[in-house]
Amino acid sequence: MRLRMTGIVILCLGLFCALSPAGRPTLAAGPAAAETITVYNPMGTPPPVTLRPQAPRLDTLEGKTLYFVNTGFIGGDRLMAVMSDWFKANYPGTRIVYKESGAGVSALSPALWDEITREGDAAIVGLGH
Amino acid sequence: MKKPAVPLILDDFEPQEREVASNLGMPGLRMQFFRGPVWGKTPAQLQKQVIEGNNPVTGKPVMRELVELLTRPLAAGEQKTGELRRDAGPETYTGTPDELHRLFLEKRYTDFLPVVLPTEERVAEMLKFTSRRPDDALGRMNPGSEAGESWTYTVKTAAINAVMAGADPEYFPVILALGSTGMTAVNVSDNGFMAGAVINGPIRDEIGLNYEEGAVGPFARANTTIGRAWSLLSINGGNCGKVGTTYMGTIGNPMNLIGIIMAENEERSPFQPLSVRRGFKKGENVVTLFMGWGILSAKNWAATVWGPNMDYPGIIKEIYGTQDGHLFGTCAVLSPPIANFIRDAGYDTVEKFTEWVTGQAPGAKRAPAGPEINLGVRKSGGTFTVIVTGGSNNNYFSMGGMVPAQSVRIDDWR
Repeated sequence: MRLRMTGIVILCLGLFCALSPAGRPTLAAGPAAAETITVYNPMGTPPPVTLRPQAPRLDTLEGKTLYFVNTGFIGGDRLMAVMSDWFKANYPGTRIVYKESGAGVSALSPALWDEITREGDAAIVGLGH
Repeated sequence: MKKPAVPLILDDFEPQEREVASNLGMPGLRMQFFRGPVWGKTPAQLQKQVIEGNNPVTGKPVMRELVELLTRPLAAGEQKTGELRRDAGPETYTGTPDELHRLFLEKRYTDFLPVVLPTEERVAEMLKFTSRRPDDALGRMNPGSEAGESWTYTVKTAAINAVMAGADPEYFPVILALGSTGMTAVNVSDNGFMAGAVINGPIRDEIGLNYEEGAVGPFARANTTIGRAWSLLSINGGNCGKVGTTYMGTIGNPMNLIGIIMAENEERSPFQPLSVRRGFKKGENVVTLFMGWGILSAKNWAATVWGPNMDYPGIIKEIYGTQDGHLFGTCAVLSPPIANFIRDAGYDTVEKFTEWVTGQAPGAKRAPAGPEINLGVRKSGGTFTVIVTGGSNNNYFSMGGMVPAQSVRIDDWR
């Protein structure tokens, strides 16, 4: 009986130690672990972002000029060739223009940008790889 | 151009490209994803893989969805304007050390090794080793690609990351010099680029940089923690090295853990120090940054099969001919005995040796890396850089692809 009472007391003490007044578990380590310190956030500062709307979409591709722009990674030319073939078969009224724009991920040149703005209706800009 | 456009992108790049689009102000940019890679594939293979395939992200047929992306009217969320101001969280965190270590891991503030927590006292101690003010702008860094956004950081940000790296405060001017360049130690490229730096001048002994045995390895606190501070500053100050968004190394590179910090063994080298060859005065404390694939023991090349009379200049020239000359050229990290072999063979300056190895006169312009790289045109060797460091206990050297970038005076950051 005495052993049983001792067990109940230990159990109650255990519960008391393991739960905070709000009933949430706390760390049961020594006093050093409970000490809090303040440290700095090591991150830099991201730049602000200016939101830009996307251009309005076309109502149809029929009769429109679609530019395929290959940004120059290996394989982009072959990929765009098979894609162009698909458009020619499925959208025969769509004019396809294929262009290459520099090497790698370089942005479109101002001249090509102007050309698409002036003569194109939409563009697909592709990264091979 | 005010015309509808859709980027075609491999599905593996989806998280990164969505982040790039958000950073450029178009968080809902319409993109079309397909299964890659496409290079090396025949038209028939591309037909099956892409034309008849589904977008791995949405599960829809690639070509039909592409048409839809160009023709479906825009939703209101796709036409938003205005400015988004962002921050990188609170200035400080409070908790027990265990909680803070967990938090730093969860937030990916670390390189997954334990860090020294950057308390106010520790950061203040670091800042004592520079005359710069804590809030002075130090640098602007992107992950190494024009596609990535550039974050800014201060002298204090560098001090915080230097503390985390376990750096002694007397190393801080070197860390500031590295941070001032804006060059990341953890480049985004799927190639898995690494970064390193070479230090010249009396500061090598002043702060205990190792340039004897084990010079390019983690065998001195200064070399190791300066490199780690640069890596952590890149991860945190420049938001680099986040897999899926700002890091894409296909296999990765073990040299991304800690940027290699080499001090030249000027005392045992028969040549002028690298910094002097780059226009600085002898005795100036200079750090020169490098970027590339990395280096490894030249013993692994067939050219170095043991023989009774090793022709080291010839071996180096042969290895040079096997290197990719397009991006980073060739870098030879020579132990002093190898450097002396080269001098004794009649090349008493690095310039003479370089001219013989590359077949080009000193100062010859490097051929630009242009579209020919994607046409399968091979150009071997490229630029050739010599660094002398390490011990004299044997005839070893390392080679690989690393090209020098900026050189910075360290004393400007004291």
